Amino acid sequence: MHNVWLIARREYVERIRTRGFLITTVMIPLIMGGLLFGSVFVNSKSVSEAHIAIVSSDSQLALDLQSELQQQQAVRMTQPNSSKVTRLTVDAMSIGPDTRAILDQELKSDDLDGYLWITAAPTLANSEPGRPTFLFTPRSPEQDSLRGTLAAALGPILMRRQLANRGILASDANSILQPVDIRVTQAPHVDNRESSQIGVFILFFLMYMVIMLYGMNVARSIIEEKTSRIFEVMLATIRPEEMMAGKILGVGSVGLTQVAIWLTAALLISAGGQGIHVTLTVAQVVYFFVYFILGYAFYSSIAAGLGAMTNSEQELQQLNLFLVLPLLVCFATLMSVLTYPDSTMARVLALIPPFTPLLMYLRVSLGHPKHWEIFASIALTSASIYAIVWVSSRIYRVGVLMYGKRPTLPELLRWLKYS
Amino acid sequence: MSIVQLQNIRKVYDTKVAVEDLSFTIEPGTMFGLLGPNGSGKTSSIRMMIGITVPDSGTVSLFDKPFTRSALGRVGYLPEERGLYKKMNVLAQLTFLGQLHGLTAAVAARRATLWCERLDIVEAIPKKTEDLSKGMQQKIQFIAALLHDPDLILMDEPFSGLDPVNAFLLMSTLVDLCSTGKAVLFSTHRMDQVEKFCNSIALIHRGHLILSGSMREIKSGYPRNRILIHFEGGDAFLQHPCIESVTRYNGHAEIRLRPSATLADDAQSLLTQAIQHARVSRFQVMEPTLEEIFIEKVQETLPVKTGKLSMAQLEKEGGGDIDA
Repeated sequence: MHNVWLIARREYVERIRTRGFLITTVMIPLIMGGLLFGSVFVNSKSVSEAHIAIVSSDSQLALDLQSELQQQQAVRMTQPNSSKVTRLTVDAMSIGPDTRAILDQELKSDDLDGYLWITAAPTLANSEPGRPTFLFTPRSPEQDSLRGTLAAALGPILMRRQLANRGILASDANSILQPVDIRVTQAPHVDNRESSQIGVFILFFLMYMVIMLYGMNVARSIIEEKTSRIFEVMLATIRPEEMMAGKILGVGSVGLTQVAIWLTAALLISAGGQGIHVTLTVAQVVYFFVYFILGYAFYSSIAAGLGAMTNSEQELQQLNLFLVLPLLVCFATLMSVLTYPDSTMARVLALIPPFTPLLMYLRVSLGHPKHWEIFASIALTSASIYAIVWVSSRIYRVGVLMYGKRPTLPELLRWLKYS
Repeated sequence: MSIVQLQNIRKVYDTKVAVEDLSFTIEPGTMFGLLGPNGSGKTSSIRMMIGITVPDSGTVSLFDKPFTRSALGRVGYLPEERGLYKKMNVLAQLTFLGQLHGLTAAVAARRATLWCERLDIVEAIPKKTEDLSKGMQQKIQFIAALLHDPDLILMDEPFSGLDPVNAFLLMSTLVDLCSTGKAVLFSTHRMDQVEKFCNSIALIHRGHLILSGSMREIKSGYPRNRILIHFEGGDAFLQHPCIESVTRYNGHAEIRLRPSATLADDAQSLLTQAIQHARVSRFQVMEPTLEEIFIEKVQETLPVKTGKLSMAQLEKEGGGDIDA
């Protein structure tokens, strides 16, 4: 045990000290945060300004539409989740001889994002004015979303006109057309599901990334030891199993340290500042660490086996499919498990050891797994970790002294029989 | 008491027999040379002595007891393939390796510094291993094998790649250790090193033990029928009837005398004749060299091949195989 501790400590100290550790610790949150804020920023910028023109022979209609659009926009701005509101600049104009040509020219030169051409309808027999026709010409398909905004503004105007035609006072019409405002409030003792989903999703992603990164690190450090041939000195004093265990523990602790740093920083930031609010319960964090450790142990012992049977990073690249594939399956099913954490598919998948760490963690955080399911998932994963460690350490023991070609499957099976 | 005892060791890798029926013992205070061409099973034998691999049959005893891993605390091992953690600081590295051998960090660090002084590489202590020259790294590795003051020192090709000055420094360090009662085993394919320093040897070829015992015993089994002569002038004396064969070099010759009961007298008569013809600067009567004995033995035990075998040929034969 003492040897395992020595190996793990060396691995930990040497890795923590590297510039690479510092860089990933700082850069990964920066990149992720940057992407997150960047996408929000870009979203708020890209469609936020729009310049449209309303062309109508009925100048009153054009003016009404202009004011209605501005009013609706003002209402929308005051609501929460207002990041997506488009700031409209509306020009009302009457029809001239070459209006269309001018507008088309402006569209081309990007001065205008679109124009709405209103053609008044001929007056009907009963002297009621008919419905005008509307034709919207957006600059590009992206501006098509403006059509909805326009339609939403035109509805009340036309209705108000018809009401006026039927002799209803403008003030009455306004009160009839008052939009319904539903406010959202939170029920007591129910956590804010959406923000907790975001928190869990971030943790899921973190787990995926760290398992991937540090699993590969285990494999890489074994290969490094094979190429530097240091292991032969080590094997003269300690068992291959001790060496492998020490490596996995040491590298894993580095991963845990990194995650802990990130989580602490995230908590401090979200406690101190406003902006994106992430709520996580204590149980979610505890389960995170439980399933993180299970997942890491599972994948890093596979990685240790892979590292022991290869001689170079290139060879490892060819084999790392074995690591990536199960994790990719987790990712593919992520959305459906996130939305229906208690569906049959989610329940079955979460009990299969390679998927347990990531998917069961999601279920525990967002769904309502039964106690026996949690217990079974931990038991099954632990049992399979034991089996993998057994196989990997055998491969390790023989593979670490082999160099030259990569073993074939029958050779591998023979290695397992060596004791 | 014996430090190492191998009895009928056999190891097979897949289809290749690495070691076959190998037995020898190493006594305390012995400088033991394990000899053989590349791929002859030297490294395999050493690995079995320290439990890196387990023999398929036969027994290994260390310090008079059947092999257990607890004995490894008293063994120092320098593998043929040198390896150190490249990014690690030298002192941290030596301390770590010392700790693995059961020393405390403080003791390991102190001994590491002392050894660095002794081997004249004090300036390497604060550096990273990868910044050191190859020879220095080899010295570090050498120190790593000796830090825990082992009673059995196993060195697999310890001098390969070292310049003569450093090779001599390491060799005399080993001789010192040997004189304090430690057993040193080193493997090599350089017969001249063994001839100079070892008092006991084992010769192996293709996994088979060909010759073993103390150097004196082995040599005394052979007649002193070799003569080395350095001379200037006429070489008519090389026609002397007692000469079986001559190899001529620039300024000197190696002579093999015909088997006879009076070899010493033959040599004297040859010298007398040589002095008449030439100016002799050196005349040495000796046993066959270890290399000659080795080649002779290989030819005896293995199916005879045409022509005279040389070390180079032997190495070529063995060199293609994995030295596992």
